[in-house]
Amino acid sequence: MAEDVRDDLKYTKTHEWLRVTGSTALIGITDHAQSELTDIVYVELPEVGKEVVKGDELCVVESVKSVSEIYSPISGTITKVNKALEETPETINSSPYDDGWLVEIKIKNIKEINDLFDANRYRKL
Amino acid sequence: MFYYREWIPLGGLKSMVLRSPLYHIQQQLGAKFTEFAGYEMPIQYSSIKDEHLTVRKTVGLFDVSHMSNVWIEGQDAEELLSRTTVEDAARIPDGMSQYTEILREDGTIIDDTIFMHLGDRYMIIPNASMNTLVTNWLTEQAKKYHLKVRVADMSKEYAILAIQGPRSRDTLQSLTDVDLQTVKFFGCREIDIADRKCIISHTGYTGELGFELSITPAPAADTIFTAILKEGKQFGLKPIGLGARDTLRMEKGFMLAGNEFAGGRTPLEATLAWTINWDHDFIGKETLLKLKELGTYQRLTCLKCLDKGIPRHSAEIHHQDAPVGVITSGTVSPCLNTGIALGYVAPDHREKGTVLDIIIRGKPIKAEVVKPPFVPKDWVQHKNDQIFK
Repeated sequence: MAEDVRDDLKYTKTHEWLRVTGSTALIGITDHAQSELTDIVYVELPEVGKEVVKGDELCVVESVKSVSEIYSPISGTITKVNKALEETPETINSSPYDDGWLVEIKIKNIKEINDLFDANRYRKL
Repeated sequence: MFYYREWIPLGGLKSMVLRSPLYHIQQQLGAKFTEFAGYEMPIQYSSIKDEHLTVRKTVGLFDVSHMSNVWIEGQDAEELLSRTTVEDAARIPDGMSQYTEILREDGTIIDDTIFMHLGDRYMIIPNASMNTLVTNWLTEQAKKYHLKVRVADMSKEYAILAIQGPRSRDTLQSLTDVDLQTVKFFGCREIDIADRKCIISHTGYTGELGFELSITPAPAADTIFTAILKEGKQFGLKPIGLGARDTLRMEKGFMLAGNEFAGGRTPLEATLAWTINWDHDFIGKETLLKLKELGTYQRLTCLKCLDKGIPRHSAEIHHQDAPVGVITSGTVSPCLNTGIALGYVAPDHREKGTVLDIIIRGKPIKAEVVKPPFVPKDWVQHKNDQIFK
C-alpha cells in the first residue's frame, strides 16, 4: 500500500480507523478507503446518542458511483458526529485522519480494542 | 481485436470477460477497471468529477469499444431498417446517421441504436452485449419479410473511440486532411485519422460537441488513441472512463438501455415519441398506436433533488406517501452538485415543478420534476458569465 497509515491509530480490515483517547474513540475511514472511493459526495451520519454494537452500520459514505456502508469497529454510544461533512463531504478525501473523521463513540467494552489491527498489521493487508 | 482474458466464475456460471485492445495503454495511464456488460473497461482514471468537468470544459477521450458494430448490406438494407426501427430509413440520406429504436411486436424496446448510412450499406451501433440479440432479430425479420440483405455482426473487429467536449473538433482537426466543419451534426463518413482509416460520426453521449470513430482492425485503435492523447494535450484533453460517461449522459437526460429500457419499456414510456416516424410501417407500430390512444402509461421523468441525498437505481418515487414511480438512473451531478435522477412516473404526477419524494434508505428526499437537460448546452460558458457579472 502506498497510502498513508498512521502509527497512533487502530484499524479494521474493512478500512476504518479509530483514535482511542481514554474511553472514547474517533472513527473514520482510512486513506486507502478514501482513495478507492474517490470523489466522496455524500455522507449520512447517525444520530448522537444512538447505541451501536460492533459490526452495526454506522454511516453511509457515497461517491459519485458507489454507496458504501461503514460498520462500527466497536460497541458503544455515539457522542459526536462530524456535521461539517454534510456540507463538505470531500474533506474525507483531503483529510481522512483529521478533519474527515466521522463519529465519536463512548466505548462500551474497552477489551474490544484488542481485536483491532495496529498500523503494522494494517499495512500488511 | 478483442481477446478472451480468462474464464471467470460469475454467479455460478462460467462467463467470459472481454478486454478492449486499448487495455494495456489504459493500464499505463492509471485506469481503474470495472466489468460492464461482459467487458473490462476503465471506470475512471483520475476522478469521475474531474473527468466529467474536463469534458464539459475542454475535451475528453473515451474508449467505447464495448459498444457493438453490425453491418447491414444488400438491396433491401433500407427496407429492413425501416421495418425494424421506428425511423423511415428512406428519409436518411447517404452520409447521415440517425438515433432510433428497435422494437418487439409488443412495442417494447429491444435496443436503442444509431444507424449510419454509408453509401450502399448501413452500420448500426447496438449497445454493449446486444450484438448477438440484435443481429439475430434483424436476420429473422429479413427472412420473414423475404428481404435480400446480409446482416453481419462485426463487433469484435472494431474498436470505438469517442472524442467529446468543446475542443474535440480542434483536437481531431490536426490529425486529418478532411475539413471537419464539413462533417455536419449527425453526419458520418470514412476518413483518415492519424493515417488510419476509420468511420467518423458527429455524434456522442455527452451533450457536448463531439465525434465517434469506428476503427477496424481493432488493434489499429492504439495508434489513433495515442495520437489523440498527444494532440489533445494542448487543449487539456484527458482520457475519460465509463463513470464520467454515465454522469455526463444523465445530466443531459439521455437514456442508458440497461437501466431505462430494462423490463420492457416502449418508446412512448421512454419519452422517445419524437423519434417515431408514424408515416411508415414498422414492427410494434400497432401496439404503440393503441397505447398512445389510452395514454395511461408511466413516462420517463427528470427529477432534481431539493434535499441532500443521491437517488439510485430502483428507489421508489412517492407522492403524498403513495407510490407513483421508480428511479432507473441516479447520481450526483458534478456540474450542479445536487442529486439528479431519471425515473418512470405516472402521467398525473410529472408536470414540471411537481415536488415528489424519492425514498432513499427508507427516508423521503424531496425532488422536483424538471425538463431535460439538467445541465443546458454551453453550461460552462454561462456559468463563467455569471461568475464574472
